[in-house]
Amino acid sequence: MQLRYVFTELGQGLRRNVSMHIAVVLTLFVSLTLVGLGLLLNQQADKAADQWGSQLQITVWLCKDDDDNPRCTGEVTEPQKEAIAQAIDDNPEAESHYFETKEEAFEKIKELLGPERFEGPNPAATVDDMPQSAWITLEDPNEFEGITSAVQGLPGVSSIRDAREVLQPIYGSITALKYGAWGTAAFLVLAALMLVANTIRLAALARRREIGIMRLVGASTLYIALPFLLEAIVTAVVGVGLAAGALGAFMWFGIHERAATGLTFMPWIGLPEYTTTVLAIGVLGPVLTLLPTLLLTRKYLKV
Amino acid sequence: MIRFEKVTKTYPGSGSPALDQVSVDVEKGEFVFLVGQSGSGKSTALRLVLREARPTSGRVYVAGKEINRLAGWKVPRLRRQIGTVFQDFRLLPNKSVGENVAFALQVIGRSRADIRSVVPETLELVGLEGKADRMPDELSGGEQQRVAIARAFVNRPMILIADEPTGNLDPSTSVGIMKLLDRINRTGTTVVMATHDHGIVDQMRKRVIELEDGRVVRDQARGAYGFQH
Repeated sequence: MQLRYVFTELGQGLRRNVSMHIAVVLTLFVSLTLVGLGLLLNQQADKAADQWGSQLQITVWLCKDDDDNPRCTGEVTEPQKEAIAQAIDDNPEAESHYFETKEEAFEKIKELLGPERFEGPNPAATVDDMPQSAWITLEDPNEFEGITSAVQGLPGVSSIRDAREVLQPIYGSITALKYGAWGTAAFLVLAALMLVANTIRLAALARRREIGIMRLVGASTLYIALPFLLEAIVTAVVGVGLAAGALGAFMWFGIHERAATGLTFMPWIGLPEYTTTVLAIGVLGPVLTLLPTLLLTRKYLKV
Repeated sequence: MIRFEKVTKTYPGSGSPALDQVSVDVEKGEFVFLVGQSGSGKSTALRLVLREARPTSGRVYVAGKEINRLAGWKVPRLRRQIGTVFQDFRLLPNKSVGENVAFALQVIGRSRADIRSVVPETLELVGLEGKADRMPDELSGGEQQRVAIARAFVNRPMILIADEPTGNLDPSTSVGIMKLLDRINRTGTTVVMATHDHGIVDQMRKRVIELEDGRVVRDQARGAYGFQH
């Protein structure tokens, strides 16, 4: 197949419809950025939930050696833990629970504050400084008083953290932002699809003589459609690139430089989450432009 | 080469069929005029040969293949065996004469070396040697139609279909075009030409198939345009 024609045609097509292509690229850029933002927020919420428990969870800190709570008489014992587990199981407000070991707690704090603080001769804390804990998942996030009072006074219980008061507004705003971003993105995606469709219609109209002749002399459908498909890919790649740049800027200036340095009580998303997000919009972008192109080239360029 | 077996074509929304139980057989190397009034079904018949349309019932064979059963992706290959010429030339105005002819080969993927050798040859055959670099709008109507014929013939098709090729041309220019089509026919190419032009049909004395309201009313070897002549 002679691809020289296809590339000449691609260049001409991009130049001929330059304002349309810019419109497609811009809508694609903004919608993909919003989709990506929603994905990042989603991952942020997951990450926070790993550390703090979800909105349905309360955490029961168990006694450790040298506990701040004077009622503690040393590290919690196995029979005490069994009694606590029994109390939780018997309570109708609790759906399930699990125990977290000292090692798990240590891993979490290392991840949150950075491992370098826990290494060397003078670490901030050791495994032994960490308390064991029981994580209780509630049936209903609004019914927690029964379980709290049932566990409160048991031997081996140091304190109960009900982080929901702190977390609920954070989760609430993350969720609102996420759905806001996705809702807006949905409209923009619709606009992008229609713009792509219009671009193709115009291009097919502008090239109808060539297309008519190509069909008559027996050019294959793929050959006729190829410039259109390449145009779709080029606009998608540019849109995805811009969106990846914008999300990168958000990650750097918004998360890395501000939130992550100022608000260290929470684990923040980083490069792995960013990479996942860029991959996702990298797939979504071309799909958004190729899908209408494939459908419409079938319609307009039908042999 | 082309065979219609009881072909009926009804367009959706119109009561009477455009073609009604038409059975015709065109041998390889024949020159056939398709005559009849506007709306008699000439263009529909040509569209069926190119598989731009499919018959409502009946069968159309081209080069031994039943083309209404042809898979969509094989249609381009069918069309590479058929050259097509129209009343309105259908040249690309922004391409030169040579480029217009070369375009037909480019888009079916022929090599540049191939194109470089075969395009001047074909231009010479149609009598346009030395005009490869002219633009279509610098040419007369007859010359433009020659470019269109060169483009239709450059891939050496087995069949040449001409839909009113002289419809936009004056009589003396038309004679030149007919001579060219005759020459192409002599290379063994089957030519099917739809026309209104009495003079040409009478002069050429080739096979005439006359359509009226979608039916074949006459199929005559070495015929004239109408009985009145």
